[in-house]
Order: sequence, then structure tokens, then C-alpha cells
Amino acid sequence: MNPTSLMLTGVGSVTPYGPLAGLIPTAPLAGLIPTAPLEPSTITAWATPELRRAFLVEPFRPASIVPGLKTRRLDRLSVWALVASSLALRDADIDLATMDRSRIAVFFATSFGCVELTEAFYQSAATHGWAETDPILFPETLSNAPASHVALFHDLHGPNVTISSQGFAAESALLQASSLLRHGQADLAIVLAGDTLTQAIYEWYETAHLLSPACFSNEPLSSAGGFIPSEGVVAMVLEPAGRQEARSYATLGAGRWAAGGDAQSGVRQLLGDATPRLTICAGDGGPCAFTHSTCSARNLVGEDATILPAQPVATGIGEAGALLHLLLALSSRPGAGDALLLATSANGGFAALRLEIL
Amino acid sequence: MIDARKTIVVSGIGVVSPYGMGLSRLQAGMLAGQSCLHPVSELYPGFQGTVAAVGPLPSVQDGHHYSRSDRLAMAAASDAVAEIAETCRDFHQSGIVMASTVAGLTEIDPEIARGPAAWYRHGGLSRASSYSVSRVSASVGEHLGVQGPACAVSVACASGALAIALAANMLLDEAAPMVLAGGSDALCPFTLSGFNSLQALDRESCRPFDQSRKGLNLGEGAAVLVLETLAHATERGARILAVLRGWAMTNDASHPTAPQKDGIELAACIHRALEMAECDIDEVGYVNAHGTGTPLNDIAETHAYERAFHERSQPIPVSSTKSYFGHCLGAAGALEAAITISAIQKGALFPTLRLNNPIESSEIDWLRGTVRRQPLPVAMSVSAGFGGSNVALVFAEGSGSHNG
Repeated sequence: MNPTSLMLTGVGSVTPYGPLAGLIPTAPLAGLIPTAPLEPSTITAWATPELRRAFLVEPFRPASIVPGLKTRRLDRLSVWALVASSLALRDADIDLATMDRSRIAVFFATSFGCVELTEAFYQSAATHGWAETDPILFPETLSNAPASHVALFHDLHGPNVTISSQGFAAESALLQASSLLRHGQADLAIVLAGDTLTQAIYEWYETAHLLSPACFSNEPLSSAGGFIPSEGVVAMVLEPAGRQEARSYATLGAGRWAAGGDAQSGVRQLLGDATPRLTICAGDGGPCAFTHSTCSARNLVGEDATILPAQPVATGIGEAGALLHLLLALSSRPGAGDALLLATSANGGFAALRLEIL
Repeated sequence: MIDARKTIVVSGIGVVSPYGMGLSRLQAGMLAGQSCLHPVSELYPGFQGTVAAVGPLPSVQDGHHYSRSDRLAMAAASDAVAEIAETCRDFHQSGIVMASTVAGLTEIDPEIARGPAAWYRHGGLSRASSYSVSRVSASVGEHLGVQGPACAVSVACASGALAIALAANMLLDEAAPMVLAGGSDALCPFTLSGFNSLQALDRESCRPFDQSRKGLNLGEGAAVLVLETLAHATERGARILAVLRGWAMTNDASHPTAPQKDGIELAACIHRALEMAECDIDEVGYVNAHGTGTPLNDIAETHAYERAFHERSQPIPVSSTKSYFGHCLGAAGALEAAITISAIQKGALFPTLRLNNPIESSEIDWLRGTVRRQPLPVAMSVSAGFGGSNVALVFAEGSGSHNG
């Protein structure tokens, strides 16, 4: 086993594309060029004064995908984390019964955490007063609730970590999980990232004037400013190379992250003399400043690199954005070679990961 | 043979606690056996119970909106690096790993539930911008001008200890020359109400590990540790306060809120940390326990210590320092790491306050009464939280310790 070589062996997702194990068969990418973008849906979950649109996860019955899964009292983020993690483990052909579950880690990345039940808790306080809030809701408002439900459902006793580094939490989770595996503190890691879209989140974006004109009309997507909010959870199984039956989507190479530093010098240090053949850009739900100002300049990755630009369905999805961009890139079957996953944060940070796609 | 590049040391500690600013005030208050717990109605009329609050914080006027958790973190981080920032050439490349559970919930009120857009239009927009846990780590970075890798973590009450463990891994990866790691959480109606709804609060001062315990008291505060490799600390001539010899994380996977009652996974966590530390169980001179004072936590933790230390030649000395200033949630693990290091430095084992009738255990030496003075080469800090998270940290004396 080469401890420096980590394989991405399973993928599961619950996104506006639906619940899926493995690659996204309908990924609208051909040669990394979007051909038939997913269209936003009309919001009906709460009353809106006029038309409001977003990329939404359509309701589905979790137990029809993961037999025996009970989801009563859980918010959608936890439900999606349970479904996505189950699909990823299934995709990786992992039989947990044969594994040491004390050596399996769970990493969960989220910007806003369990906002649905946090809003419900505030509603409970607004209606009944602080002294009479709902005891069922409170524990489910904690950001680490989805990761703990994943551990509970799969009976996983390894490290359980929730990361909320807004804008690059998914990359941070990948880097921290890699570190744990390389230092022998776990044998396998399930890395999840996701957020749900709620009225409070949507209206915050709207009040802050961050939304795309496509949120307010049925016009086709355009390149005009702003973004379209989205939601979902993506799960990936990461393990050291060597499991005999494992087949891999990609090998995770060196990673680098920073906050507020010089992104260009950080990425140059990460790449050394190498020139990635493919660059995957992930926004943070904001206007993707990094995508436009840095990647598009090409001075980081060279003229020969193919750039998968930030995708509309994935830019406003919160922390699942980076993993969904990576999943979309893998789904487009880009061929073997070096790749660079980049993300930026509204807080001025960035994270970068170097991958080898097999 | 010690590998100085793989040995993680603590070279700075910053604390904001109900005792005031700085580790020395915390140490002095605890050595004097002073409790900071007061009726909550002094802060939040209408609530009943007991809490420990921090006094006024330094104001920050740079045009940004900071939550109280942000400001606690900024103050603790400034305290931690007071002797480092000006003298260390690569200080600005330091990493940051900060933990919080409350974060900007302090800034949001229930009116948001009646209509978010209206609440945002009436001043809520900037207040809500501090909601995310990541604002705590970002605020520390902006305040100190630190531009290295940043990470924000949240695993309920084990968050602060987890931040330290992840920071240590980042140093092993050479991700940064130093990492500021810790936790910060402020008192707020949201958490008071939440724990009240779960009937987890003791209306009087908490009694961890006492048979008459009825629940926890909430507190607030922040602690930040400066971590670096021994090689880096030696190169810059740093005073080494302690060595972080081992760390481990496990999960109960047993119940969303209640700990696993037999303490198996917490004991496994302790074993793993000791294994990494290459430390025999008889070497551990003190355990700073999670010890919330809730009936379920304290009995589960007792079983964990009995399981982990049953082969010791002597009972393991254990105390809960939450009896002094309550449970500071995401900051608790970091504050207790700071207290554990203080215990090593001062050769002082802090007793649990109000522990009159401890849980019966022949394998645990419950510290109570007065401070016990003895050399303490190795001590452990243990944290646990909702969601089943467990973290154990093993600290050993450093060259800058004044033990005994």
C-alpha cells in the first residue's frame, strides 16, 4: 500500500439531477462543454410574491433507494447525507460487514448546516417563547447532525468531522480526510458536502442582490451576473490504494489551501513544474470571482489546459459545489491525466487540490 | 529518538474566560477555587438557571459586523500570539483552525422566522452575515493579518478539542509553519433555550460526577493554542509550554444526543491517543474530563475511564473544570486543553467543585476539595459531544514548564 496514493472509489449524490450512485449519466457535458443545461424550477416550498426559481432537489422516497432507511424527524440535509453516503458505499462496492468500522471516518462539509430545523426552532421560539421551544428540534439544529446520522446509520466509529469553512469546506474536508488516511488514523473516509436551500437563505441572497436575473423569470439561462441558488449533497469514498476489488475514478494528489493569501502563488507552489491538463473551477455560491479572474486568465494553468468552468447548477449549491463540479468533470469522462480542482470563498480564501484522473 | 519535524508543541495560549482576559487570570481564579457561576436572570430576564459570562470585550471598529463568538475568538487569538506576532518571521503564514457551535446565532432573533426578507431589510442582513462558523476563523485571520490555511469546524461540544487535533495533522502535513487552533462560543438565548428544552440544565451550580448531579450550566469563552513543530519552535527560540504527544477521535454511533452508556468508544479514543503518544497508562497523572454534570454524560464517562485505565497500578486522578465556569460548548475542549497544560506547568491538579458525593468507582481518584500539588509530566484532556463525537488529547511537559 502506498500511503501517499489515495483513490476516489465511490460516488453518491442527491442533487437537482436526482439521487444517483456513481457518475451522472445525464450530465450535460460533451467534451466539457455544456450542451443542455438543467433548467431551474419554480419555488413552491414557501410563498413568494412573484416567480422565484432555483435548482431544487425534487422530493423522493429515501427508503425506495436505501431499504430500511428511516428518516422521520430528520431534515432534508441529514436525509440526503444518508442517501448519498449509502449510494457512494454501494458504488465503491464496500461491504461494511467485512470492515473494521472503528477505522472508517466521516467528513461532512457545509456552509449553513441544518438551517431547516434551525429556522423551525426560531419559529418555535417566535410562537411559544424561548422557554417553550421544541426539544425534538434542538439537537437537529447542530451542524454535525448529518455526519452523526451517517455514523449512526452505518455504525461507523471512526473520526466524525464537520467542517464549515464557507466556500471551501468541501476541499478542506477532502484535505483533512486525506491527511487522516495518510497518517494512518483511518482506513477509509466518506467525504460528504452539502447544503439545503430555505426561505431564509434564498431571501438573504435576494436582499443582498446576489441572484441571477434567471431567478425571477422563465427566460433561458444567460451569462448575466449573479447566480442561481441550488441544493444537494455529494458523497465520495476515499481510501488508500490497494483494496483488490477497488476501481478508482481518480487519485488524489497533493492539496493546498489558504485563506486570504495569494492564490496564484499558492497554486504555483502546488503544481511545481506540472501543467494540469484539466482544470475544474468551483465557485462558492457567489459570483465565482476566482473562476473569472484567475482561471480565465490562464496564467495559472497554461494555454493547453481544458477548463471546466463553474456550472450554473453547481455554483449556488453551497458546499456541495466543489464535489459536484468534480463529479460533473468525471462524468464527462475527460481521459487520463492531471487535473486541478480549484475553489474560492466569499471570505477571500481559496483551496486547491491536484488530482490524477485514471 | 525524537523527530523534531513530527513533534507538535504548544508555544502560546490565549484565553478569554469568565475570569477575564488571559491564562493567568484563569489560573489564579481556579487555584483560588473561585466559581464564576451566577443566576442567568442577571443576563437574560425570563430565563431561569445558572451561567458563567465573560465581561465586556475589547471593541473592534473596522466597519465589519462581528458576532460575540467572533470577538471572543479574536481576543483569545490576540492573547495567544502577543509574544509571537512581532518576532516570528513567518507568523503571517500561520494556519487557523477554529471551532464553534453557536457562532453567529447570537446575532439572529426569532423575528427572522416571521419573514426573513423583512427582518433582513430592517438591519438583519449584516447581522446574518456572521451566522456561519467560518466567520469565527475568518475573523481571527483578518484581525491578526494571518493568511495561511484556514478551517472552521463544528462537532458540538467536542469542537474545540477537534480543532487542536486537526491542526496537529496539518502541521504533520507541513501545511503551515504554525497553526492557531481553538474554539469560541458565546452565551445566547438559542442554546439556553435548547438545553432547557432538553431538561439538561441544572438551575443551581452544576455538580459534575456527584451522585446528586442534575445537569449542566452554560458558560462562554474562547481559547486559542499556538501549535508548531518542535523543529520550528526550536529554530525561532520559542518557549515550549507543552508537547502535544497524542490525539485521537472516535464516534459512539449510538444515539443522536445521549452518550454510549458503557463508554466503549470514548475508552477506545483514549487508548488511541495514548497509543499515538507512546504513553503507558501509568504515566498519565491527570485527566481533565468532559464532565458536564448531566446524569447520562457523567456515568458514561466514568465507565469509559474505568475501561481505559483499569490496568493502572493506582486509580486515575480525574476532575471536571466545568464546575468553575460552566460548559462553554465549542470552546470547552480548547479551554480545557489550556487548563490541562496549566496543570502540567503549575504541577497543580484542579479539583471538581461541589463534588461531595462522587459516583462510586474504585478505579477513579476523584479530585475534590483543595488543589493537589504534584509533579505532572503527562496529562490528558477528554471531550465528547452530541452526535457521539469523542476527542482525546495527550499533553506532556515542555522545556518552558515550571513543574513541581
